[in-house]
Amino acid sequence: MTAEDPVVRVSDISKSFGGAVALRDVSLELFSGEVHALMGMNGAGKSTLVRILSGAQNADSGVMEIGGTAAGQLTARKARKLGIATVPQRRELVMTLTVAENIMLGDLPTRTSLVRWKPVRQLARQALRDLGIDVDVDALAGDLTVAEQTMVEVAREVRRGGRVLILDEPTACLGAEAAAQIHALVGRLCEAGVAVVFISHHIAEVLALADRITVLRDGRVVWGGQAKETDEAGLVRSMVGRDVVSTKPPRSIKKEQIGLRISDVGEGRFIEDFSVEVRQGEVVAVLGPAGDAQSRLFDLLSGRRRPDRGRLEVNGRHVRFGKVGRSLSSGLRCVTGDRRRLGLIPELTVDENLMLARDRLDRRRLHRRDRLARRAAPLRDDYRVVTLTPNPPVGLLSGGNQQKVLLAKWLGTEPVACLLEDPTNGVDIAAMADIHTLVDGLAAAGVAVLLASSDADEVMRLADRVVVVRDGRTIAEYDIDRISRDELVAVALGGAIS
Amino acid sequence: MTTTLTAPAVPTRRRVLPRGFAHGGLLLVLVAIIVFASLRTDAFLSTNNLLNVLRQVSVVAVIAAGLTLLMTAGGMDFSMGGNVAVTTAVAAQLFAHGQSIWLTVVVSIALATVIGLVNGAVVTFTGVAPFVATLATATLLDGVALLVINGLSVSIDDQLSALGIGKTFGLPNLLIVAIAVLAVTAFVMRYTTFGRDAFAIGGNEDVARLSGITVARDKLLLYGLAGALSGLAGIMLLARLGASSPGTGGLQLQLTAVAAVVIGGTSLAGGKGTVFGTVLGVLLLGVVANVLNLLQINSYYQQISVGAVLLIAAVANLLQRRRH
Ligand SMILES: Nc1ncnc2c1ncn2[C@@H]1O[C@H](COP(=O)(O)OP(=O)(O)OP(=O)(O)O)[C@@H](O)[C@H]1O
Ligand SMILES: [Mg+2]
Repeated sequence: MTAEDPVVRVSDISKSFGGAVALRDVSLELFSGEVHALMGMNGAGKSTLVRILSGAQNADSGVMEIGGTAAGQLTARKARKLGIATVPQRRELVMTLTVAENIMLGDLPTRTSLVRWKPVRQLARQALRDLGIDVDVDALAGDLTVAEQTMVEVAREVRRGGRVLILDEPTACLGAEAAAQIHALVGRLCEAGVAVVFISHHIAEVLALADRITVLRDGRVVWGGQAKETDEAGLVRSMVGRDVVSTKPPRSIKKEQIGLRISDVGEGRFIEDFSVEVRQGEVVAVLGPAGDAQSRLFDLLSGRRRPDRGRLEVNGRHVRFGKVGRSLSSGLRCVTGDRRRLGLIPELTVDENLMLARDRLDRRRLHRRDRLARRAAPLRDDYRVVTLTPNPPVGLLSGGNQQKVLLAKWLGTEPVACLLEDPTNGVDIAAMADIHTLVDGLAAAGVAVLLASSDADEVMRLADRVVVVRDGRTIAEYDIDRISRDELVAVALGGAIS
Repeated sequence: MTTTLTAPAVPTRRRVLPRGFAHGGLLLVLVAIIVFASLRTDAFLSTNNLLNVLRQVSVVAVIAAGLTLLMTAGGMDFSMGGNVAVTTAVAAQLFAHGQSIWLTVVVSIALATVIGLVNGAVVTFTGVAPFVATLATATLLDGVALLVINGLSVSIDDQLSALGIGKTFGLPNLLIVAIAVLAVTAFVMRYTTFGRDAFAIGGNEDVARLSGITVARDKLLLYGLAGALSGLAGIMLLARLGASSPGTGGLQLQLTAVAAVVIGGTSLAGGKGTVFGTVLGVLLLGVVANVLNLLQINSYYQQISVGAVLLIAAVANLLQRRRH
């Protein structure tokens, strides 16, 4: 490492929201050609720092220097001009435009101020191909899976170029393959001299990728230094302030009764003859690349969509597909992996979101804020939802805390069987351990748990049995203690060509 | 540890202040206009004039109340004015044919409710955008109203004068009805699950449905309610005017109500709305119209001024909110 000057230097940045402090005296230096990882628990202030770096919000105090000169008050436009590109935690594609338009947005090739559509699509296709992304440029952004949306957004920012690229949890909802693509991309950009800011809750990922790490806790920098100076245990301790252990408890599935049975489900070319049985108290994972058959299960089981064929039974009773009410009254609870679109209502408060499903199931007629708060309080505690103000709109919470609210909303309703889609998407390691414990608790209480996941580690930790899917078909099924993690990953990737 | 940040839930108290505050910009504009009006003309603050203004805004307020709830749920009913026109026409004809007050009122409001439900059914079950569907019915209803009164003015003599000009404890009866409707709407929106459903549906319909909210039924009910309130507003308008004539109600009334609701901060996209804001919006429009009349301003300039005030109020409201 040469003793060159940092591309970006922020000193003593502080930011508070209505009296609640989100960042205090944070200092940070970004060097060209380096990956700088930001770590910290949900609500630690990572995304707030990102928003300040990218000009989306202004700091209350502190100084920012870009390329050696003080930057003053940044705006999003100015930040971009100074070469700071950002992929925020919340996907920010225009959902009603095509992938090509999204990638070229603000930079549409024109001739005499008329858009030239052919180059738009060509350039967009090129941008995607450069990153090894296989997405149709004519598809609407809204029709893509979350993983694909992430890739498109990354492609857009990379195409625009710049000397700093900020990625806020780019891999949170990606499977191993897609994540590997992002890692390769980050490596390539660094070689080209870009300074990359990378945020992730996966410690192994960060240790493998980062040159420098800054750990935030409650808005303060608690550790900063070279990645090689620290290790997993050290990082956990500085992030959480204690050790976190998450071990799988021995599970004794006494009950033989089938809690959830899906048989011969088929839907277009997305799912072919999918069958799975989950006994009460058992956790069965469906593992596949992001966007594969397991991502369709939510729509089918929640009643949003009717499959072409197939049958669903909860506790031995037939449940008709395609009716949300039927699905709910059977005791089946489906937790989406897309909390922004299908999970939470951002304008409503945390308490109201927590009790949204519960109050409707209880057929409650009156709504009293104080009573609502009292009923929501145990859920907040159990799921450790952290908020700066007492009861803000849920959209203002940090991403991980929103995920906890989503889980609490559904799992607080005494499920008989449940589908969890990427349940720890974006949560910190302490919360991940908590959520794993909660899923253990569900199983212990006799709930049949179906886990739709693209994360082999999570499957190893939670599942008793795993069904591996690829291109809509079931390609293998194992008891989890008969297979190692590496074998599982190999099987999951097995169908891949090239 | 971070978990200690989870503050105990004490949300009830804190609401009181931000509530009035959230509409501070709008309040300011309203006060400014009132002060301006009372300085410019003595007539403004006279009891008679004030009562007159309140009677006039009462009708708009009833429509706006229904619209606030509906728009909060992401819906829109452009046909409420047309519904009012039909109701006044039908009620006037019923009176003209010697029917009793009760029968007339019940039949008219029932008819208005059915019209609302039809709107609701079209919007809910066909997926046509509410704006388009109800704009079509609005045009249709305006025509029907003209048919019913045959293009002539139909007088009802003093049949509804108790409602139209009567007072209780010094307050116009029309105003009392409007206040009751506004109060009930505010209560429903804040304290009932049905009202909260509206916020949820407007915020994100998919999430609402997945959470077990009976979205289709709720929407139907909301449109039905909008219809019923149009019917009530129609009766009130008929009582105030004493006759149904071509152009009573209709699009002009509709636009005033929509403007009032939107100025009051209810989101056209759904998910946000308060009755308090709507009340301010209704008052603002009513006062402006009255002041312009009192100052005997040329009707061209009246339109220009109303437009300008709308713009200022909308911007004031938004600036206010962005700071929070
Ligand atoms: N506009 C806002 N108004 C009020 N509070 C806010 C606002 N934005 C963020 N916060 C709060 O500031 C804190 C820091 O949030 P931030 O999004 O930076 O966390 P994070 O470290 O990115 O967490 P995560 O890992 O969950 O994404 C959170 O407690 C959040 O609720
Ligand atoms: Mg974040």
